[in-house]
Amino acid sequence: MKQIESISLYCLKKLNRERTIYSIYHLLNGKKSSQTIQDAHLFSLKHLFGIYDTLTRESFEIIIQNMIKKKWINNCGEQRFDLTPEGEVNLFHSNIPSFLNGWIYHQFTNDFWERLSLLVQVASNFVNHENQYIPIQKNKDVHFWLKTILKEIQVPRLEMGSMLFSELVDCFKEAKNADPSVLIFRLTGYQQIGLTPEQTAKRLNMDIHDYHIEFINIIHYLLQKINRETKNFPLLSLLIRDLKQNNELTISSRKTWTLLNQGYSLERIADIRHLKLSTIEDHFVEFALHINDFSIDDYVEKNLQDTILEISRQINSRQLKFIRDKVKTASYFQIRLVLAKYGER
Amino acid sequence: MNLEILLKEHFGYDSFKIGQKEVITSILAGKHTLAMLPTGTGKSLCYQLPGLILSGHILVISPLLSLMQDQVEQFKRFGEKRVVALNSFLTQEEKNSVLRQLKKYKFIFISPEMLSVPFILRKLSELSISLFVVDEAHCISQWGYDFRPDYSKLGDIRQKLGDPLTLALTATATKQVRKDIIQSLSIENCRKVETTIDRPNIAFKVEKLAEYHDKQNRVVELVTKLQKPGIIYFSSKKLAEQMASLLAEKGICRTMAYHGGQDPNTRVLIQQQFIHGQLDVICATSAFGMGVNKENIRFIVHYHMPMQLESYLQEIGRAGRDGKLSIAILLYSPGDEHLPIQLAEGELPSEQQIDWLFSKIEQEVKYTDGNLHLNNHLCELGGFNEIQWRILEELINDTPQNNRKELQKTIQLFLKKRLTAKMNNIFHMKTWVESNVCRREFIMEYFDDELTNKVIPCCDQCGLQLKDYHSSIDHTKTTTNELSWMEYLGKILMKNELSE
Ligand SMILES: Nc1ncnc2c1ncn2[C@@H]1O[C@H](COP(=O)(O)OP(=O)(O)O)[C@@H](O)[C@H]1O
Ligand SMILES: [Mg+2]
Ligand SMILES: [Zn+2]
Repeated sequence: MKQIESISLYCLKKLNRERTIYSIYHLLNGKKSSQTIQDAHLFSLKHLFGIYDTLTRESFEIIIQNMIKKKWINNCGEQRFDLTPEGEVNLFHSNIPSFLNGWIYHQFTNDFWERLSLLVQVASNFVNHENQYIPIQKNKDVHFWLKTILKEIQVPRLEMGSMLFSELVDCFKEAKNADPSVLIFRLTGYQQIGLTPEQTAKRLNMDIHDYHIEFINIIHYLLQKINRETKNFPLLSLLIRDLKQNNELTISSRKTWTLLNQGYSLERIADIRHLKLSTIEDHFVEFALHINDFSIDDYVEKNLQDTILEISRQINSRQLKFIRDKVKTASYFQIRLVLAKYGER
Repeated sequence: MNLEILLKEHFGYDSFKIGQKEVITSILAGKHTLAMLPTGTGKSLCYQLPGLILSGHILVISPLLSLMQDQVEQFKRFGEKRVVALNSFLTQEEKNSVLRQLKKYKFIFISPEMLSVPFILRKLSELSISLFVVDEAHCISQWGYDFRPDYSKLGDIRQKLGDPLTLALTATATKQVRKDIIQSLSIENCRKVETTIDRPNIAFKVEKLAEYHDKQNRVVELVTKLQKPGIIYFSSKKLAEQMASLLAEKGICRTMAYHGGQDPNTRVLIQQQFIHGQLDVICATSAFGMGVNKENIRFIVHYHMPMQLESYLQEIGRAGRDGKLSIAILLYSPGDEHLPIQLAEGELPSEQQIDWLFSKIEQEVKYTDGNLHLNNHLCELGGFNEIQWRILEELINDTPQNNRKELQKTIQLFLKKRLTAKMNNIFHMKTWVESNVCRREFIMEYFDDELTNKVIPCCDQCGLQLKDYHSSIDHTKTTTNELSWMEYLGKILMKNELSE
């Protein structure tokens, strides 16, 4: 049985028919909406939050369809499903990768990987006295991070490789039921280019979805281990230093963001922060503008979104008043959200 | 001054590649220069090296952002830190900081649209510019296959910068295009360095297949037999993917698809795997090739017909950089020209789109400083792509706007002209495919170049044995003994211990 199937069964069971299958999709995607965030808390699914942000809706639907065909799950109406006895048995015999900790780590996973792979490439080229090569990571922030830490590292350049090697091997020693191959074969070194996710999955004979989950699992393992034993991993611990989040936001809206991520509603946030509702709304518009994975679907129905966009297009204006005149059912807040999210920048 | 010594000391090369020294000498003698050198001959060196000698700044105009980034990285690898790229990748903050200390940078790469920002141009004109370089200069010409309206302003900009010494670089340009370049930059008295575009070690073969469907099997056959590594070019991402899967499934070679739809990390990995010999064949769209400096590519197969001989030449030019025998094979089946025609039409805004745009502008009635303000949201609404939109902006800003009907007509006319130019190119490409004369001679004629030496083997018209390009060793895939993860990690991180 595939890992992604176990996870879906696990979620369905926890959701207990109270949510549609798409709430699972949003959960795995790590959708930043209060509904999804609340679900993660309410149904104890926080560890799976955001563990598969590249999963497409189509792929997810195929996975569900397959489980229906295999009679593991039953439709009980309105996109809700429960487990058949066979589904229950399968779930019972399955193990969800044990290190997944999406709630805490999903926002660092990618940065951590980019840093690790660049650090390994650089160390490998040091060892081989090579200084002309193409960096495998293009992200400027990661390059900047590397420059900073290279200035600090006291270890001689030539020894960085073996030190990194021992730290990684050490670190993986207690990685029970997790295969470091999923990560290691993707690393690039001196004259040895790492594999893409698809290539690694093929090499390890894994389904691509399972591969992805195992990859995230091992990254979360590393994050946890390094975090707990910083002293034992002087090089690796540099990877997690000052991993930052959402630096586009103002300080005030960052606080709102934190509360939203804890599952509070817009109104509750205004309450807690003793701020006007309209101020919090401004923050939300900021999220719509700057945070790609912030979904406005909870605040503006899909249909209404389309209508607003269409009107804005037709009357060729972003003037709230004009749009509002044509779509009486929409609030100014909703119009602003839609324009911030989908309008031109 | 000995140029060879400079070359060795600063770049580590033993000798100049063809044309480089002539261009550099001409520049150092203070002559405007137009250089047409094949892709991969190291045109960048033609301004990199003079930069070591000339006292002022070197301004390089380059049309593609990705190309610019590559160049900057390359400079840095050679230890040149005084280099910067001014383009829309920079945040406003970064831009300001760069502009404030512009003097610091010896080499300034800039996109043409940045150059037309008055503030930036003023900043630049405060510098002493020793050399004004126009990379990919064929973009100046409306007859070129890659016309960029903002390139046509470079002549004016040059004047505003005080007529600096100028170097125009291109890989493939017909006589007409070269004439346009010279005129547009007003460097009539320039020195021309044109090496032959002929690549004698690359043979041409066009294979005509009765049915489009026969191509797939033919590619499988070819790839099985031909000596690798090689590239197969497609006009469609999907087909590139399908072919890669097919070849991999059949275990014919180590292969991956490469196209603009993949995520950038994957693209970098695949490109690098190919360069490092971890892949034998790339199934690619035209997105592949820029910045790929691989010496030993043995074949280039075209599954679809490119849109012009210029691109075809660029793409096959990636083969045989090491001078060894290589082959370019183009597969043709009747009706193949429809695809490039469709693509050409898609590249330009349609008449309907323009009509729509003007009906919108009509409603918008927004004049700032008396001019028409083209609101960006119309771009997405009207389904214009980025390049189309830039063309329209240029046209609208450049034409007197008092009469909008007139303006609309000008634009429609311009687009018609562009479409005609593109159709013309496709027509030439097809004529080449169908012609019975030597394929090399045809191309040479097209570029007003002269074939000095008749080469053997030359092309399918002159006679060619495909088996000369077959792999001599039976290419049973060397299944690299699979390392464990720890061995792999040891191999990349520990020099002498676990490896070997
Ligand atoms: N004289 C030379 N000898 C060897 N390699 C060279 C020489 N000049 C340039 N190169 C290399 O040739 C490659 C192509 O250079 P580039 O300037 O990008 O080519 P072009 O712009 O003409 O396509 C680069 O890797 C460059 O380092
Ligand atoms: Mg170049
Ligand atoms: Zn011939």
